[in-house]
Amino acid sequence: MLETKFLGMNLPNPVMVAAGPWNRDGEGLKESLEAGAGAVVTESIISDIMLDVRPRISSDRFGAENIRMYSDIQIEGWEREMNIAKSGGGIVIASVSGHTPSELAYLASKMERFGADAIELSVSNPAAESLEVVASHADILFDMTKEVVSAVDIPVMVKLSQNTTNISKVAKAVKEAGGSGVTAINTVRGILGVDLETGVPSLSTYGGISGEYIRPLGLASVATIAQTVDIPICGVGGISSAQNALEYMMLGASAVQVGTGIMLEGKGSIRKIVQELEIWAQDHNIENLSEIRGKALENLKAFDEIKFEPAVSHANGVPCSENCSKCVNACMYRAISREGDSIRIDWTKCTGCGLCTSVCPAKKLKLNL
Amino acid sequence: MNIKQIAKAAGVSVATVSRVLNHPENVAPKTREKIQKIIEEEEYTPNWFAQGLNFKRTRTIGLVLPQNINSANMEVANGVEEVARKKGYITFICNMEKDPRMEKEYLDQLITRKVDGLILLYSTLNEEYASWIEEENVPIVLIGETKARDTWDSVFVDCRAGAAEMTAHLIECGHKRIAMLCGLDPEPEARAMLQGYKNVLKASGIKVEEHLIYHVKNNIEGGYIGMKKMIGNLPRKPDAVFASSDEIAYGAIDALKEMKLRVPEDIAVAGFGNDRMSSLMEPKVTTVELPYRKMGIYGARMLFDQIEEKQAKAEKRRRPRKIQLQTKMRVRKSCGHRERIGEMF
Repeated sequence: MLETKFLGMNLPNPVMVAAGPWNRDGEGLKESLEAGAGAVVTESIISDIMLDVRPRISSDRFGAENIRMYSDIQIEGWEREMNIAKSGGGIVIASVSGHTPSELAYLASKMERFGADAIELSVSNPAAESLEVVASHADILFDMTKEVVSAVDIPVMVKLSQNTTNISKVAKAVKEAGGSGVTAINTVRGILGVDLETGVPSLSTYGGISGEYIRPLGLASVATIAQTVDIPICGVGGISSAQNALEYMMLGASAVQVGTGIMLEGKGSIRKIVQELEIWAQDHNIENLSEIRGKALENLKAFDEIKFEPAVSHANGVPCSENCSKCVNACMYRAISREGDSIRIDWTKCTGCGLCTSVCPAKKLKLNL
Repeated sequence: MNIKQIAKAAGVSVATVSRVLNHPENVAPKTREKIQKIIEEEEYTPNWFAQGLNFKRTRTIGLVLPQNINSANMEVANGVEEVARKKGYITFICNMEKDPRMEKEYLDQLITRKVDGLILLYSTLNEEYASWIEEENVPIVLIGETKARDTWDSVFVDCRAGAAEMTAHLIECGHKRIAMLCGLDPEPEARAMLQGYKNVLKASGIKVEEHLIYHVKNNIEGGYIGMKKMIGNLPRKPDAVFASSDEIAYGAIDALKEMKLRVPEDIAVAGFGNDRMSSLMEPKVTTVELPYRKMGIYGARMLFDQIEEKQAKAEKRRRPRKIQLQTKMRVRKSCGHRERIGEMF
């Protein structure tokens, strides 16, 4: 029930492992496949290996920040790594990164020869590149995608960045250039924090933020692309459970990738997500997950299309024993007050903003007409 | 002792000795041990050159450079050699001293010595000479802009765009009278850079003044002499000088210091190349990074692709492959930029 068709490839499940150091060589890729991944993406392969700065990864409870994580194996060495990666079967996608179309096409065609099932162009890494990642320019991305597509016979997907003014435009450029799909989103430029005692930021330069921090951005990007461009999407950003994966799918993703989740929790979390997905599909009588793809998009309207309805908050007379007063504190319109064991809502003051319904830990408040 | 003498001493044929050297598993253990003992005693090593003739490959490639005291060229060589070494090849590095005749001589020599392929850095070869090499059927890759680029596989950067970007940056720094110290070689690249410089000046409404363009030798001395002449000849000094290589920029900075002119306060200087010294100079030189090592790596990669295609008897004529690599601005101090926007972000 989890079998997924993506870019013409048959994945046993839609949970792929994203490009990153956890897939740095053949053994790492094989390990990810053995841990239950539907497909794996290699760490991004570049023209010439660079020295890695130390430290380069930092994390807190919501996610991680990294500066530049590219493969430290030259393209020549990937022939051997691909043999190892593919020795137990499974789908291996090669992530390649570069600055010119010809450079990317060269790396992609080599990886095709070494057995890659598809190519993912990584042109949106925010660390060490500059504010304007390549993927923020639709025209450059078009040229790059086109040259790679003409150099290989396998599907080409492009990893997009949230660091762009209009992600629809770049996704459309990928499609027009012959790209088979897009991955959204790459890490987002950021700084995790600053140590107040030493005045030292989380890492020594601007990094790429991943994990929970960026899931809302990833979800919106995937939905935007799904609503504007007819192209298969692989959702990525802050996925650590089936719930997260399903959210991406309901907003239009055909498959998803996990990265930071396994970096922090280990590869065991791949199987956990896959199992959760199976259980969820069974519980919901779903034969194939493609049935729910884009389901939430019908409920995602343009601002102009939203109907103005005089809904207000209702406590429905349910007694409140939590006594947390979260709704009282959160009501900016001073419409909520506490009366003994229950909550009173003044409908002359309530403007129907809806905040109380999400802050209530017991979900007792509802917005109704 | 040669292989014939070994064979005679062992009482076997030359072919059997050859088999012991190349496929010992195919020789009867007793015979093999006997021959190996003689080989060890006589300290015989096979003649790799003769082996190359037999196997139609010598596991050698030739790299012809314009100059070997230039650190940028050696970075290219570093990239070439790294790939070659991993492939089990030895690289012959030949320094042609920027002399087209010497380049041809080296090519003749390398082809005679049966190298498996050639990499030419900033080659001066024209189409006519190219067709001669073509007949020899030796795989070739060109690095840098060259006259014969349409004939062979090549790796290059867009020097015109790089020079245009630097000129635009100098204008953005507030400079109006921007002179150029343009190297005489490598000729096609220098021409492209000059074009990029002129295009941006025109587009910015700044008149191109030919007397602000000096053609100099592409080395430190060329930059030094050019800068001295320029300051001596011009009644009014320029605001900035764009040098077509970092070495020219070093020479120019040296001359300016000697003339008690401050860089960048009195005259700003920008280079091209980002070779290793550029960030150690005082002031640190603003320049355009050229991916030298990567050019070498790609040159070698494409050469080995050709060598492998040749061995696999692939279709000989195909369209030449071209790989273009990116240049990158390195904004430092010598250009007089007050902010570090380009460098930091």
